[in-house]
Formats: sequence, C-alpha cells, structure tokens
Amino acid sequence: MTVAFWILALLLIASAIFVITAQKPVHSVAGLLAHFLFLAITYFMLSAEFLGAIQLIVYSGAILMLFVFVIALLSSGVAPFAVGPDRLPKMAAPAVAIIAVLLGLVAYAVSREPAVTPVLHGIASGPVGTAGVFGSVADFGRALFTLNLLPFEITAFILMVAVVGVILLAGDHVPYVPTRKRARLVENDMREAIVRAGEE
Amino acid sequence: MHENLLPVALANYVALSSVIFFIGVAGVVLRRNPLIMLMSIELMWNAANLLFLAFARAWLNNAGHIFAFLVITVAAAEAAIGLAIIVIVFRSRTNVDVDEVALLKG
Amino acid sequence: MLLAIWLVPLAGAIVNWAFGPQLKRAAGVVGCLALAVPFVATLLSWGVATQSTGSAVGLHQALFSWMPGFDFGLLLDPLSLIWALIITGVGFLIHVYSVGYMWNDNAIARFFAYMNFFVFAMLTLVLSDNFVGLLVGWGLVGLASYFLIGFWFFKPTAVAAARKAFVINVVGDVAIMFAIFLMFAKVGSTSFATVFAHVPALGNWLFAVCLFLFIGAAAKSAQIPLHTWLPDAMEGPTPVSALIHAATMVTAGVYLVARCWPLWNASHEAQLLVGTIGGLTALAGALLGIAQWDIKRILAYSTMSQIGYMIMGVGVTAYQAGVAHFFTHAFFKACLFLGAGIVIHELADEQDIRRMGGMRSRAPVAFFAMFAAVLAISGFPGFAGFFSKDAVVFGALEHGHPWLYIVGIVTAGITAYYMFRLFFVTFFGTYRGDLDPAQVGMTNAAPPAASEPSHGDSHAPAWLMAAPVALLGIFSVVAGYVMIGSSSPWNRFFAQTFPSENLTAPAIGEGWTTAILFVVMAAGIAIAYLRYATPAALADAPARLRAESQRLPAILVRLYYFDEIIDWLFVKPSQALGRFFGRIFDPDVIDGVVRGLVLFSTDMGGLVRGAQTGLLRSYALVIVFGATLFAIYYALQGAAH
Repeated sequence: MTVAFWILALLLIASAIFVITAQKPVHSVAGLLAHFLFLAITYFMLSAEFLGAIQLIVYSGAILMLFVFVIALLSSGVAPFAVGPDRLPKMAAPAVAIIAVLLGLVAYAVSREPAVTPVLHGIASGPVGTAGVFGSVADFGRALFTLNLLPFEITAFILMVAVVGVILLAGDHVPYVPTRKRARLVENDMREAIVRAGEE
Repeated sequence: MHENLLPVALANYVALSSVIFFIGVAGVVLRRNPLIMLMSIELMWNAANLLFLAFARAWLNNAGHIFAFLVITVAAAEAAIGLAIIVIVFRSRTNVDVDEVALLKG
Repeated sequence: MLLAIWLVPLAGAIVNWAFGPQLKRAAGVVGCLALAVPFVATLLSWGVATQSTGSAVGLHQALFSWMPGFDFGLLLDPLSLIWALIITGVGFLIHVYSVGYMWNDNAIARFFAYMNFFVFAMLTLVLSDNFVGLLVGWGLVGLASYFLIGFWFFKPTAVAAARKAFVINVVGDVAIMFAIFLMFAKVGSTSFATVFAHVPALGNWLFAVCLFLFIGAAAKSAQIPLHTWLPDAMEGPTPVSALIHAATMVTAGVYLVARCWPLWNASHEAQLLVGTIGGLTALAGALLGIAQWDIKRILAYSTMSQIGYMIMGVGVTAYQAGVAHFFTHAFFKACLFLGAGIVIHELADEQDIRRMGGMRSRAPVAFFAMFAAVLAISGFPGFAGFFSKDAVVFGALEHGHPWLYIVGIVTAGITAYYMFRLFFVTFFGTYRGDLDPAQVGMTNAAPPAASEPSHGDSHAPAWLMAAPVALLGIFSVVAGYVMIGSSSPWNRFFAQTFPSENLTAPAIGEGWTTAILFVVMAAGIAIAYLRYATPAALADAPARLRAESQRLPAILVRLYYFDEIIDWLFVKPSQALGRFFGRIFDPDVIDGVVRGLVLFSTDMGGLVRGAQTGLLRSYALVIVFGATLFAIYYALQGAAH
C-alpha cells in the first residue's frame, strides 16, 4: 500500500505539472484526464468508493468533455490564445517565491505531528463495497440525504443557477445588449408614447 | 492510531495535496490561456478534495465525503460558467488572451 | 352592514379607477350605485344605531388591533348616523346630478372615482371609533378634496387652489396629530370611549388638546384664520363644491367638536374659543359674501358663514343645535350649489352674476329650488334653516354668550341680504350676458368660456340635473320639521348622545328670539329687494351693478387681506429661507463639502489606480499573496503553541 501511494503521488504531481506546462490546451486536457484517473484510484484507496466513481463520471466524463468541446469550438481555424505580448513577463519570480514560502510552511507543519488524537466515530472499517462500513455508498447516501439534506438541496439550487446563467451567457437567442443602450430604447418608446398621448 | 487506518501517514496526504494545489496556483498565475487557467483551478479543487477525503478516512467521519461531493458540484458549476464566459468573450473579440481582455483596467 | 356602508364606495372608486376607459359614462352609474347601496344600508342600520346597550349607544364593530390602545373599529351611533345619512343620501343626489353635469367630460370615470373615494374617506372619518381612524379619514378627505379641486388640472388656477387647500388642510392634520399624541400620552388610548371616560386624566393639558383639535377642525371647516382655501376651492367642478365644500367635508370640524363634547364640556376656555371663532367666521363670511360677484364664491362665503354658525353652536355646547344646522344646511346649500351649477351650465360656464339676470324663465327648476333654498338659508319661518338657525342663536344665549347671540342675529340679517342679492341679480330682470362686460362693472373680464372646459353638443337628459335639485329644494323646506318643539324627534334622537342640561331661562325667550330674527331677516330681504328687484332697479340694473362694483370697500374685495397676511407671515419668510439655502448655503457649504470629497476620492483613486491593471493574472497573484500572509499568520500562531 505504501509503495502504491508513492507511485500514485509521483504520477499525480507529474500529470499536474504536465497540465500547466503543455502548450496546447488539448494536451492539458489529456494530462488532466490522467490526473483525475490517478486521483480516483487514490480515492478508492481511501475507502471513498462513491466519490471515486463520481470523480470518474463527473470530472473525466462531463467536465473534461466540456473543455474539449470548447477547445474544438474556439480552435476552428484560428489560434485565439496568446495573441498579444505577455504583459506580465516578470510574474514567474514572485509567484515562485510565494509558492516556495507556502510549501515551506506546509513542510514545517507536516514535520510537526498533530499532538491530538482524532476522535473516531463508531463506523467500522471493512472491505470495499460492503454495506454499512465507512465509505460505502449506503453509508454516504444515508449521511447525504438525512443529516446533510439542506446543503444538498442548496447545491441543487446552485447548479440550477449555473444552468440558467450559462444559458443566458452563451445562448445565442439574444445578442448581448448593454443595459444602457436598452434603457435608452425603452426611454425613447416612453417619450413617443407621451408625445402621442399629448397630441390626443 | 490513525496510521492504522491510512495507507500512509496523514502528513503525506497533506503534503501531496499542497503540492498539487500550488501547481494549480502556478498555472493560474503563470499561464495566459484561460482554458488552462480553468484547468488549473480544477486542479486546486481536486487538491482540496483529496485533503477532505484523507482526513475523513483518518478520522472515520464521512462528513468529509459530503464536503467533497458538494465541492464537486460547485466545481462543475464553476467550470460551466467559466467556459461560457470564455465562449462569449471569444464571440465578441475573436481571441481569449487574458492579457488582452483587460476591461477591468482602472 | 357597517363594513358594507364603509367599503362599497371604495369598491366603486376602484372599479371606476381600474375600468374607467371601458366604462365611459357608465362610470356614473357605478358611482351612483356605490352610494345608493351604503345609503340604503345606513337607513337599514337606523334601528341598531340608535339602540342602547348598557351605557353604550349604537352599533360597534371591532376591526383589528394594532397595539395596546390602538384598537380600530367602526361605530355607528346617532351622531355618525346623521353624518353617514347626509354623506350617502345627499351624496347620492349629487352623484346623480354629476352624471348630467359631467356628461361631456372625457374624464368622467376619473371624476366618479374621486367622488366615490371621497365618500369612502368621509365615511372613514365619521364611522371610525377612535382618533387615529378619524385622522386617517381626515387626511384622506383632504386628499380627495385636493384631487377634486384640481380635477381640471390644465387650469393653473385650479392646481394652485388645490395645493392651497391641501396645504392648509395639512396644517389641521398635524394639529390633530398633536392632540392625539397628547391624549395618548395622558390616557394611553386613542379610542373615543376610553378617552372620553378619562377626561380628568388630561388635567392641565385639556385645553391644549381642545385647541389642537380645534385647529384641525378650523382648517377643515374653513374657520378664521384658516378659511382662505375654501373660496379658491370653487375652482373644482360645481358638484364637487356642493358635495365636499358645502354639504359634507367642511362640516367635519363640526362633527369633530360634537364628537368630542366631553372634552368641550370640561373646558370653559375651549368653549369660549370655539364659540368666538365660530361667531367671527359667521359674521366675516357673511360680510365677504356681500362683496362678491362670482356666484360660486358667494355661495362659498355663505358656506363659511353657515359653518361658523354650526361651530358656534357646538362651541357653546348647544350640540344638538349645531348638528341640526349641519343637517339642514346640507340640503339647502347642496341645493344652492347644484342650482347654481344648472345656471352656470345654461350660460356656458359664466359664473359672474353681473352677466346673468333673467334666469327665471331659462332655468325654472333652478329658480324654484333655489328660491326655497335661499329662504331656508335666510331662516324664513317654515323653511328648514329657520328651525336650526333659531336653535343655534338661541342656544348661544341660553348657554350664556350674549355677544355671540347678537353676532348670530346680525349675521342672519346680512345672510338674508346677500343671499337675496344673489337670487335677485341672477334670476330677475333681463339677461345681461350680451352686454359689454365693462358696462356691468367688470374690470378684468375673462373670456367666459375659458373657466371650464367647453362641453360637446350631446346633452344629458335634463331630469338628471333637475331632479336632484328639485328633491333638495323640497328637503330645504321640510328638513326642519323634525325639530319642532322641545320633545321633537330630533331631540329624542339625540337624547342619549349629548348630555342633557338644566339651563335657567334667559332674559329673552325663544319666542322673542324668533321674532327678532324674523325682523332682522325681513329687513335684509327688504334691502336686497329695494336695491336689486324693484322695477326701477331692474330697469337700471347694468348701471347700478357697475356703480356697486366701483363702490365696494377694498377690505371686503381683498378678503380682509388674509391672503396677503399669510403671504407676508409664512410664504415670504420661507421663500427667503429657501433663497438663503439655495443661493448661499447649498452651493458654498454643502456643495463645497461634496466637491472636497470628490477631490479627495479622485486623489485617493489616483494612488491605487496603478494596481488596477485589468490583468487577470496579476489579480490572482495578489490573492495568492494575501492567502500567503494568512498562512504565515496561522503558522506563527501554531508555532507559538
């Protein structure tokens, strides 16, 4: 198990670095796909079987497909990315410095083992896939739909808002009209109506 | 005690998650391609999720699972909105270079 | 039942408001129905309104509670019953008349919406069982009056008159509010019953409460010095003048004083104040009536004068007499206004009586009805006004106010004179509208048709306007018959409402009072006859009118300079204050501060402007930097443990 963890950690870091260094977005997507696969395996190792499955279905299946579609949409014959000069050429140094500081902090924190003993809740651990043990789908579902029903519903609402927002933003039924222009149109209509009423 | 419940020590998960998170941060800060920036943000979400799940396992408390689940939904919403924004920006300017799209300039 | 009386007019108003364009003239039917229903309902509630259960008289219906001490409800007792009957009954006749009068007005639906709304507001005022509800109604009738005075909003004079009426009425509203504050502070309740049961708790504040209440009453009832809005209010359509500014709204002050009789009974100073103001107004209004030529303004001043009588009556605690005068006045004054409306209509909106004359043959219904009404207002024996005016004047003496008694008698003579002057000049002689305006003494002759919008050629059925006038004329004769004798139906009706008093008989008996009044009135009529209606005077009418126009004393023509005084006392100082703020304080002080702030924020903005590159990645880096600071802070915290 320990060996598996280290291999996975290595693969995760490597694929993540590939994601942010790849020149073409399609390559990044491929890297991200690999990253998500490794991550799902890690989840399974942590007995989070349901979330591992969700990771595969939602991320690899849905979100990454969205990315691919958008890349296909944008890249049809043009290269829309990085058309102008890099306006922040000196970003790397401070960014790396900050990240180094933060990583140092993490290393410092990790080196100090937490002194507290975790309070364990009375859920038995057992083989993956068995109902009634920690991380099983049944266990997760019960927790989600009883104690955490309200957050669940709120998430559903957020998703709905996102759907509405995406339709509003990307739908091509209405050309985007700046509010001020639309207000001027309405104002002109009203003025005409008043003038007409006055003539009557 | 919790070492028995995890494949490796919890601190290793914290370190791994941090590293992935900072790779995501570096992606957001250093890349000019908005798609890759979005992907980097996904990396950061997932690093957070990994931490949630590791702690849930360490403490045998599935509240972390619930949280990770909520994070995934929010991340999905965020990705959808972000991609929609990229699409409309592209539609009106034919490029999506974040250094060119500087409408917030004071 | 009470709710029906109260809310049906509101429903009518809403229907007329909402469906006005579709209803067109049918709005009149809606408007009349919305009054007929509450009128019938009021008549049907007669029995329960006069019943007495325990100590309370009348029908009470609780609506809702707001706070301790603020219980809203409706109360129909003999006093509010009389008012509700007049409001809905006379109001109904006036609505019917309005259908004819407004026949060709495009905004007829709006007119009836306002009228119904007014009736609703007035019913709120008289049916409320507490001071807050009364104040709500009080404000709403002011609003309705504002709408209706300014009904022809394209006339600048109408708008100005509406504004004036509203402002002066608000002075009264505020005063009543102060009275309510005082009562609530001292008694802890705003309901009539509770306050009146605890009059002693008001202590030294009693007079202040009465004073504030009376300022409100004076503003609404056009008592000196808050009367100046009433003549101007005649800018509204004539039915409005008849309903609001003669029959109902302006008598709200009388209602208020009569309703609060326990307060007035307890405060001698308040009686003196109200009686004196009432007497003064009666006299002043009558004197002003002499000097007017506009038919509606004459009637407006006579209204003011007659309300002065009522206020005097209730002020000297002769409540029944004051209310009786309200009752009869509603009929004959509405009749006068509606008759005048017929004449005005007939002459294409001419309102100056110098250009009238000979209307007897052209408007016979108006002639006979107004003849009855003029006799009634003059107090001719057998007509309605005779009984009530007699009661008021005698009541003043009976309650120990001989000066007011004399004022009442003198005013009665003047009233007879100027009302018959109006009557003779309008209806007798020959028509003078064809003459040159200057020939009858008009100096600033406005083109006659400009005052009201011209009417189309389609005419309403004549009975629509004639029938209400005729009915009101009949009531002007018979309405007083319920008041004959000391055990009359009127007295029995109010037996449980007002306190009974044992008064020592005054030096001059009631019979003598009647005789004196009759003599004075006859003298007034005789003078009017000699000046305007003898054959010689009729033949020479234009010259005589011209001479009189030039001879009128300036103080009467300028209305005692009240408008000028108010202008000088209030308007000019506030204008000066406004100029100070507008020209000096605002640009230099306030704007200076604002400009300073603008400069300051521009400078500050310039400082941080450089950070706003608009580049997404720099923002991201700043966020990360901030997060790093937090992380360092927590790491240090953790290390400190």
